[in-house]
Amino acid sequence: MTHAESEPEAAARRPDTAGIALEAVGVRYPARREPALAAVSLTVAPGEVAGVAGRTDAGKSTLALLAAGFIPRVVRASVTGRATVDGIPATGLDAGALAGRAGIVFSTPANQLSASKLTVREELAFGLENLGVPREAMDPRIDAVLAELDIEHLADREPFALSGGEQQRVAIASIVAMGTGTLVLDEPTAQLDPAGTRQVAELLRGSAAAGRAVLCVEHDPTVLGHVDRCLVLDGGRAVGLAPPGVALGSGVLGATGMPVPTIVRLAEHAGVDQALAFDEDEVARRLRDPRVRASPSPDVPKATLEWTPIQERPGVSLEVRGVTYRYAGGVEALRGVDLVIEPGEAVAIVGQNGSGKTTLAKHLDGLLRPDVGTVAVDDRDIASLPVHEAARTVGFVFQNPDDQLFNRSVEREVAFGPRNLGLTGPDARELVERALQLADLLAVRTTNPYDLGLSTRKLVALASVLAMEPPVLVLDEPTTGQDGPGVSRIGAIVDAYQGTGRTVVAITHDMEFAARHFGRIVVMRAGQVVADGTPLDIFSPERSALLASTGLEPPVAARLGARLGLGSTPTPEALLAALVGSA
Amino acid sequence: MVSPATGYYRPGDSWLHRRDPLTKLLAVGWVLLAAFLLPPLSLAALAALVLVAAATTGLVRPLLRALRIPALLIASILIVNALFYPGAQDVIARFGPMALSREGLAFGVVSAGRILVAFSASILFLFTTLADDVLESLVARGASHRIAFVILSAIQMVPRLQDRASAILEAQQARGLAVTGSLATRVRALVPLVGPILLGSLIDVRERTFALEARAFGASPRRTAYRVVVDPPIDRWLRLGILVAMVATVVVGVGGWLA
Amino acid sequence: MEFDWLTLCAEGQAENCIPPVQLAYLVALVVGTILFAVIALRSRDLSTGTLVLITVAIAINIAVGSLTFALRLPIYLDSVGTVLVGALAGPWAGALTGLLANLIWSILPVPGGAGPTAAFFAPVAAVIGLMAGFWASRGVFRLRTDDSRVGQFLALAAGVAAAGIALLIVQNTIGMPELFPDDADQAIANQTRFVLIGIAIAAIGVVVAWLTNRTTFHFDPEDARIRPYLSGATTISAFVLVFAIIRLLFAPTGYFSTVTGLKEDGTVDDFLGGADLTGLALPDPLGLIVAAGLGLLVAAGAWAWAHRGDNARLFPVWVGGLTTGLVAAAISAPIAAGVFGGVTGGGTDALVALFRTLGLGIFQSAFAQGLTSDPLDKTISYTIVFAILGALPLTVKTMFSRGETTVAD
Repeated sequence: MTHAESEPEAAARRPDTAGIALEAVGVRYPARREPALAAVSLTVAPGEVAGVAGRTDAGKSTLALLAAGFIPRVVRASVTGRATVDGIPATGLDAGALAGRAGIVFSTPANQLSASKLTVREELAFGLENLGVPREAMDPRIDAVLAELDIEHLADREPFALSGGEQQRVAIASIVAMGTGTLVLDEPTAQLDPAGTRQVAELLRGSAAAGRAVLCVEHDPTVLGHVDRCLVLDGGRAVGLAPPGVALGSGVLGATGMPVPTIVRLAEHAGVDQALAFDEDEVARRLRDPRVRASPSPDVPKATLEWTPIQERPGVSLEVRGVTYRYAGGVEALRGVDLVIEPGEAVAIVGQNGSGKTTLAKHLDGLLRPDVGTVAVDDRDIASLPVHEAARTVGFVFQNPDDQLFNRSVEREVAFGPRNLGLTGPDARELVERALQLADLLAVRTTNPYDLGLSTRKLVALASVLAMEPPVLVLDEPTTGQDGPGVSRIGAIVDAYQGTGRTVVAITHDMEFAARHFGRIVVMRAGQVVADGTPLDIFSPERSALLASTGLEPPVAARLGARLGLGSTPTPEALLAALVGSA
Repeated sequence: MVSPATGYYRPGDSWLHRRDPLTKLLAVGWVLLAAFLLPPLSLAALAALVLVAAATTGLVRPLLRALRIPALLIASILIVNALFYPGAQDVIARFGPMALSREGLAFGVVSAGRILVAFSASILFLFTTLADDVLESLVARGASHRIAFVILSAIQMVPRLQDRASAILEAQQARGLAVTGSLATRVRALVPLVGPILLGSLIDVRERTFALEARAFGASPRRTAYRVVVDPPIDRWLRLGILVAMVATVVVGVGGWLA
Repeated sequence: MEFDWLTLCAEGQAENCIPPVQLAYLVALVVGTILFAVIALRSRDLSTGTLVLITVAIAINIAVGSLTFALRLPIYLDSVGTVLVGALAGPWAGALTGLLANLIWSILPVPGGAGPTAAFFAPVAAVIGLMAGFWASRGVFRLRTDDSRVGQFLALAAGVAAAGIALLIVQNTIGMPELFPDDADQAIANQTRFVLIGIAIAAIGVVVAWLTNRTTFHFDPEDARIRPYLSGATTISAFVLVFAIIRLLFAPTGYFSTVTGLKEDGTVDDFLGGADLTGLALPDPLGLIVAAGLGLLVAAGAWAWAHRGDNARLFPVWVGGLTTGLVAAAISAPIAAGVFGGVTGGGTDALVALFRTLGLGIFQSAFAQGLTSDPLDKTISYTIVFAILGALPLTVKTMFSRGETTVAD
């Protein structure tokens, strides 16, 4: 087998059937009755970036696997219609045919690494080794890719020691180094922080410009804003294919029942041209128009949930006094933090990776003990309690649900928490029922959690803690990797929970989520609290410099409000109200 | 000095570091054969050989420190055999059910000596050789590169999994699972702790397989190598010499038995 | 050509015979090499998915082994991954997993690791993987009322039982010939008879297994007889186990009848200060009644347990685990005896010392020590794997060709 050519040569040689061409394709998995995809058509030419949006289980991952030539070759499924990848029909592929021509990147950075190489350089060579590329030809290709993806400074680092965003870039680089003409990405930013997400989003254009056909499946609107056209899937069917400004708007995405991203909603309200929907400058410009300001905006129904807890647990206060914490390597994660949370508050802790927010949260339920200072829960020093005892008062939902799930059904999983607390019988069953209802999991109660998507698994983990009805609920990154409806659901859960007088603390990157559902925002930087106030206060224009110094950006609505001189408008509702008021 | 992905390896530029990995592997193989096949007196010579090798590469102190690891095993071999040798005739002293015997002592010393020599030679090998290089060198000579991959990636995955195990320990405790206390409590904690480790890893298998497929793993039988393993010219002669020594050792050793 | 040297050496005999210990090691070496070659050959056909599974399983072995070390539990559980691969991907993949895991464990500085010398136990790890794959294909992990392979398992058990009964009958009638008599001439005749009797007993076992597989234990899927038969097998096994142990110890010719307090030459024995325990050897029929009574008691408990819910499903799992543990101990013993002077360096070496004072030889002490930990350890590992496989999602099961057939729903 000859070695794979570099992409300029290949692109010049291939006919127009290069890229991805899907014509009325349908995909059905062997064990399922319903098809995962039905009559979907999509073409992505070299140089183009296409996006795919839709809720979880809409068929997006299936589409990604098909577009990369993995179905039916690697994943067993029956395919109808015509699917052509890089000029080769997908059904006619054998093991060698697509090697090095179509590549796919998934959402967990660590799983993309070969885990068998000691440096990034060797990691990039892995694909070339497998293709049988002569040794002399490897270094030039690796150097070219390092430059293209701007990771030259990582060349001699150990792959596992990199951050999530860096690992994803290395993963993309490894595929690109193989000279692929097609690049498919399946939720690449699901586990990344905003900085990592930005890095990946910026890669997409550059990758396409190098002559590749790029297909990106995503939830995050900031990434989808970078694509040329976006396909929206609902229940395996295509409901629209248009530039992102239209595809993610109320006419297409909104019509499927999914929430419309804020920037698109504002762009629609401002009547911005569809191609510029993600251009904040343009949206701001249009919003200055007095006629636009005065026009009323349709109300987005806010989801509310009713939830009555079984146990009467009075609210509990949390007091963190002068806490300093050093990790084993000597890194000082917290430097003299003082924080008091009254019963019944909803607090969002924000900050960049490394600011200490997760470390602080872990102190709240005793997972970490301070080196200096005290942590008191309900006026009792938490150092006197073992973690599983503290769990009765402070419920902690971890970012990675797979660290907690091990039962064969969602129902059993949710029942695990109450069982550990010694609750049995009808009380426990009722707790489980209410938790399942709150998290909208009744329909999947007997399903194996690992047969569900990541977003749903996160809800299962959340439900399993809700079933314990702790007076304090701590959530670690509840919205990363969640689809639109999932984010709304979690927001509604937070509101309902706090409505019963219990405390909710969330660590989050999602500024809009924080502004919407939390009455207090604590900003951290380098192990210290640098700001503490309401969303109105923290996201006001006066504080923008401080926020920028911590590496954070206020939500879209606040940014626009600042530009338009409307004062502090942390949520889109506030912005629209202010617009009307100023007209 | 010990990193997760490189095990016992200590970077350096000694004559041992510079040898081809296969040469060193064969040398360790010969030491093992000699330790178990040749008469016990040869153990002293072998130990001296290993010590000299360590001295000339400046690794004597790390070697002695590493002996911590089999220390309990060696002590066990000596004590259990010296004091509890079955069928002992030549008894030196008695302490209740224990009997210090000459045969036991001899047997214990020989067994312990064998383990000592085997361990020292192996650890010196591990000090001066990277697993990646050994495997690359074997693959170049026809070993399966897919199996080599399994070994290397398993090595790198172990610390990841241990980190995950700690994360799982924390996460389950946060759901009220008690992990300290009575034996029954600890046993009951086993499934909620081991479960996510196993299940989470098995889920990852799917994604990892896809990622490997995307990197054309196993696609071409003619796989090339990026990593360059140096094979100095003397090593060919060294390897020949070691092979001859191995054959000679087997002949002498087995012959000694039958005689 | 003369073939009278083709016998195992009797006690004290030095020429014209083959030393049994050396022969055993030679056979082990040959078998080991063949095994290794087959594993290497089979590994070439493994799919990428299986290789990734093996990688992950190796890491699981080491991580779980370190976890139990940290939890200070008296078991290793360092073969959980091996058993898992055996169940999902077959015996040879399982064997490869065990082999590589042992190798990697020995070259990584992890807590609980014993350093490079642990690599000598690689054959044990490989065989554990083989057996796990074997048992998985007999359906031990997937036994529900709708799996007809329970029949195979029961037939196997019946065959072993038949062979055991045959052995007992031979022992109590014509008696087994002494393998190493004092008279060198007797040796040849004795050893030939021994081999012939052994072949006959094995043949009886095979015939019974084959016959029952075809008739009594031939089930259709969803056969209603499967559950009661399984419960019955559990009960009978419990009875036999308890009965056998009690008879071994307390029978008129059992162990306690030999503890006279005196050594062969008439001097006082060191064990327990020369205590005479022959009184504990109960005479028949009292001894028989006691043994049978206790056996029935335990059997009744086993019956009750087997009938609660789906508990009977665990019986084959435990048989698989126990036999694997037994074989593991049997293979570890010669390695421990030949390479490590009869010990393994763990806390259980105190047990080795104890067994030696009881009069057992180097090999037997090592085997006895293995028997106290390996069967329990492997049984628990099998149980954990059984539980995990039950919680396995569809997406993983469909990845492996054996996943759907060997794994319970």
